[in-house]
Amino acid sequence: MNVGTEAPSLPSRPRWLRVVGVAAVLSTAATVWLGLWVTPPDKVQGNLVRLVYLHPPIAWVALYLAFGLAALSSLLYLWRRTRSLFWDRLAAASVEVGVVFNALTLATGMLWGRPTWGVWWTWDARLTSTALLLVLFLGYLALRRVPAEPEVRARRCAVAALIAFVDVPIVHFSVIWWQTLHQGATVLNANLSPTIHGSMAWTLLLGFIALTLVFVWMVTVRYRIEVLADRTDAEHLEVSLAERWAEGDLDGVPSNGANGGNGANGGNGAGGVLRPPTRVGP
Amino acid sequence: MSYVDAGYAVGLSVLFLYAIGLVIRRRSLERAVDLSLPPSDSAERTAETGGASGP
Amino acid sequence: MWRDALLVAGKDLRIELRSRVALWQVLPVAVLSLVLYAFALGPVRQTLASAAPGLFWLAVLFSTVLATQRSFAIEAGEGTRDGLRVSGIDPAGVFLGKAAAVAAELAVLQVVLWGAMTLLFGVHVRVVWLALVASFLATIGLATAGTLYGALSAGLRVRETLLPLLVLPVLAPVLLAASRAWSGALTGSVSSGLSWLRVLGPFAVVYLVIGIVLYGPLLETA
Repeated sequence: MNVGTEAPSLPSRPRWLRVVGVAAVLSTAATVWLGLWVTPPDKVQGNLVRLVYLHPPIAWVALYLAFGLAALSSLLYLWRRTRSLFWDRLAAASVEVGVVFNALTLATGMLWGRPTWGVWWTWDARLTSTALLLVLFLGYLALRRVPAEPEVRARRCAVAALIAFVDVPIVHFSVIWWQTLHQGATVLNANLSPTIHGSMAWTLLLGFIALTLVFVWMVTVRYRIEVLADRTDAEHLEVSLAERWAEGDLDGVPSNGANGGNGANGGNGAGGVLRPPTRVGP
Repeated sequence: MSYVDAGYAVGLSVLFLYAIGLVIRRRSLERAVDLSLPPSDSAERTAETGGASGP
Repeated sequence: MWRDALLVAGKDLRIELRSRVALWQVLPVAVLSLVLYAFALGPVRQTLASAAPGLFWLAVLFSTVLATQRSFAIEAGEGTRDGLRVSGIDPAGVFLGKAAAVAAELAVLQVVLWGAMTLLFGVHVRVVWLALVASFLATIGLATAGTLYGALSAGLRVRETLLPLLVLPVLAPVLLAASRAWSGALTGSVSSGLSWLRVLGPFAVVYLVIGIVLYGPLLETA
């Protein structure tokens, strides 16, 4: 039995990853330091403004970086000319990180909202659409866990990601299209003149940079995990198949082989003929 | 604890825990792949990662 | 594409007419759910009347999930889907046909539910054209999104639990907008109803277009 003769040998981790990781930690620490201690309290909001250094950057990462990247990768996967499992795995990594950030967006938002508006939650357009976004991409993650061949799974997930992404512009424009409790954009507003100034503005900017770096690090590591996971799944499958073939059981007879001990290929519905998985992708 | 402190605490700790989770998952998968590679490949890999081992 | 769509729609509807699954299973469940809502919310007329549009569309929403599951179950037999693909029918046509069939079933369902709602919740539609336009747009959105997700989850063993999890968040905006539009139609406030039509319209178009574009790639060598 030959494992790994067709697949390329495992690439080593990119050297820049460590640099990005360190930079992420440092810039995040700097943001926290500036945000919690150095910057002054706001005239109107008081100390609550300090959450503004976290909440919008986290939201930005979730919606535009993470889910945007996921949608773009899904598109590139579906388009024949650029089809490669690389895009599928990148999308999966991006979605998972995006879901974490999305949940954090809601959490930090609620912690800001409770003292400001008096309520933990309200069903205004922005909060509702952001919560919906979380559920949509949780669906993506659930879909991903259903066992299937890589290409089939990739196609399904790509479509799911693209449809889920439809909600992102809705979230973005919700504060303009509807009367919301949540305020309008601080920086990317219609006049493109930010309503935040001085050390607060710089801290906010640093927050964006820091969390972007965190995102880059996380997606890269998560991508690698995805590659490794696919690899080990395929190898487990090959081992089990090889053992079965050795026993002389498989010649196109479904059900007995298909529902045996290995979990990885159990989920192909109608139980057709088993064939060895094809190695695709980086 | 103020809402601000709670916000920072929740945000930072979730990110931190998730990051640690990623590192752990990666490490255990790398070990799994390593174990299944034929001996010569495995030796090559340890030489490579010796130079580039990240966080 | 259109000719293929008509072919597929005709096939699906003929199967339905012969087997009457939607008629005897989906429809009764939908009406039953309206009754159950009344049980859950209590007999106070005022509560039911104000909740009526939302409950109506909730019933339609869940029926959409059932109808699309059914739409793909009829092709689950060995090789049927392959047969469709190999026959050279345009996948976008298949999509439009299946969605149209589901939409037709939903339309019939809504008529019956409308009657049940009037009877059980004691409400009257005051602005009929608003309700009809909202229904038309919402049905397109529900049927197209439902069909797309039906295809996405077809052949998966966990389809029964996964399809709702995937498709309901996608249909949620349609539920929201349609309920608000019908609320306007029931109370007579046309302007608020109109503004929700402006949400329903884009959703219908977007889901329709996405379905046409992505159905083919989704089904490749499925």
